[in-house]
Amino acid sequence: MRQPADEPDGLVLQPRDVAFDWAGLPMHWIPGEPMATHVVNVLHLLLPEGERWFVRTFQEALPLITDDELREQVLGFIGQEALHADAHEGVLDHLHARGLDPGPYLRHVEFVFRRVLGERPGLPPHRARAYLTERVALIAGIEHVTAFLGDWVLNARGLDRAGADPTMLDLLRWHGAEEVEHRSVAYDLLRHLDPGYVRRTRAMFIAGPVLVRLWISGTRFLMAADPELPARSRPTWRGYTAAARRGLLPDPRRAARSAGRYFRPGYHPTHEGSTRQAVAYLGTSPAARAAAH
Amino acid sequence: MPSRPDTPPPAALFGRPRQDRFLRFLTHFADRYLALTTRTDPTGRHPATSRPPLRLTVTDRRAVAEDVVALRLAAADGTPLPPWRPGAHLDLRLPSGRTRQYSLCGDPAERHAYRIAVRRLPGGGGGSVEVHDTLTPGARVTVAGPRNAFPFAAQDRVLLLAGGIGVTPILPMAHEAARRGLDWRLVHCGRTRASLPLADELAALDARHPGRVHVRADDEHGPPDAARLLADAPPGAAVYCCGPGPLLDAVRAAFEASPAGALHAERFTAPPVVDGRPFSLRLRRSGTVLSVPADRTALDVLRAEDPATASSCRQGFCGVCRVRVLAGPVEHRDRRLTPAERAAGDMLVCVSRAPEGACLELDL
Repeated sequence: MRQPADEPDGLVLQPRDVAFDWAGLPMHWIPGEPMATHVVNVLHLLLPEGERWFVRTFQEALPLITDDELREQVLGFIGQEALHADAHEGVLDHLHARGLDPGPYLRHVEFVFRRVLGERPGLPPHRARAYLTERVALIAGIEHVTAFLGDWVLNARGLDRAGADPTMLDLLRWHGAEEVEHRSVAYDLLRHLDPGYVRRTRAMFIAGPVLVRLWISGTRFLMAADPELPARSRPTWRGYTAAARRGLLPDPRRAARSAGRYFRPGYHPTHEGSTRQAVAYLGTSPAARAAAH
Repeated sequence: MPSRPDTPPPAALFGRPRQDRFLRFLTHFADRYLALTTRTDPTGRHPATSRPPLRLTVTDRRAVAEDVVALRLAAADGTPLPPWRPGAHLDLRLPSGRTRQYSLCGDPAERHAYRIAVRRLPGGGGGSVEVHDTLTPGARVTVAGPRNAFPFAAQDRVLLLAGGIGVTPILPMAHEAARRGLDWRLVHCGRTRASLPLADELAALDARHPGRVHVRADDEHGPPDAARLLADAPPGAAVYCCGPGPLLDAVRAAFEASPAGALHAERFTAPPVVDGRPFSLRLRRSGTVLSVPADRTALDVLRAEDPATASSCRQGFCGVCRVRVLAGPVEHRDRRLTPAERAAGDMLVCVSRAPEGACLELDL
């Protein structure tokens, strides 16, 4: 078991001005593993829109924050999320150039983050504020998932063994490390606005299954739209578990256990993942190092 | 870019052309769920709290090199202070209103006092001179933190490079490396031996861990050569470097060709304003006019007015501080906005400015 007491804490969060060159990225950047590639590729579809929604929501929450330190953390979080959105969008452009038009699925993602969870003008002030807290609770739940995924990708030796594209691995691990680095911010902001157990867990009950459902339809979409795959290619559960056994995708049982921990009354994100490991990766990441110049 | 509330869901991805059923369900669910769950406002029920800043007293002051003093700061009533890890710093709020960051250079296990070391820089912004002149034993000072912008990940093999006063965050890292039994080396560079702060503590560390601490003064060994310093790194080692800008730049340039595997340096938030001229801002909603001095950014001035002003990188690349300019000539200094965004009046207030004496009307 990891010891949080032995970890760096109180980190100053700062976005890193990373850049990635996708010119040489093959369609199946985990060689010979189109399904595992596309399960991970769903990230590039969900994140730009989702993380910009995080940014808008947290910007709206700034005036409600009365703690200077938390405000600084939230500002660092916003900047990191803005850069994550940009970095994944670069991959989308590349997919499009290789003949995979992500448009139809992107319109679904846009609908979720702009219509279902978007601005609702005309709410009376107390409802507007409660709606904001509700969205922060959803983000805190999603951030638990992204911290789990970040921790997974930092440790996913299976991707190295399979010869995954090094630039894509650096994008995923840089992003994963920053997710681990800032994993407490959304939770701490939620506790600042509503310390209750009910809203936090209720939001996870909704965010978790919706995320899984969006992920499945995203993988189905990408495999059907991939010009390099035979027509009517579909992801299968058996294919997923086989890839997970090889360490190319997260183990579903570990994911379920991690989600379960979010419902513990004494939960805090610092108990998940390792700040030390995230910091160590950011020291080796070619993109993060280049951004420090 | 909110969708209108009556926007219909897009078409299903598969099967017959019709609205996507899952998205239609999600829309109805969200509308009903939010109508129920936003009836009460938890923020109103639990007013948000904030932690007060720390008020500390200078309990000891000692010279640790030419122009360098080390200060011990403790709570007046002797209560334990918030814990910290190597690489952490404090924000010192000086009596003049200046805020300066200083790395903690004491022992993290000492819970009742912090220690910082400050070099007097007469040509600097005045903060270090104020520390030297006013923070004598018994003086009170307000601090925020500790925060960590230079976290130590305690990799198995570590090379610690310090230039001059940059040894302050490095010294606690060396102690932690020794405590954990890591393979570590520390190199401290400076102009002369007499200018190197905390030399006695490094000598004591060297006595306990022979061969791990190296001191090199320019007047004995010539100016440091980053490639040579890094060449001594154990293969794959993580390098932690803190020192003056030229040392950091040289280490970064030499890093790729070295045997080292990771590079960590302190991450500074806002670079100083270069070649700025004073100008002013006019806020549309309130009509307030704010003046921006030559050495401050528009963002600093807006944050002083409203602490909830959004910003993040403070270097002009993340785009979080984007503001719409209604009138006035903008001097763009960011790396992000497209020509179309600039033409539409967008401005990143963390770095961009206006010509001397100009007034920018902001949509705030």
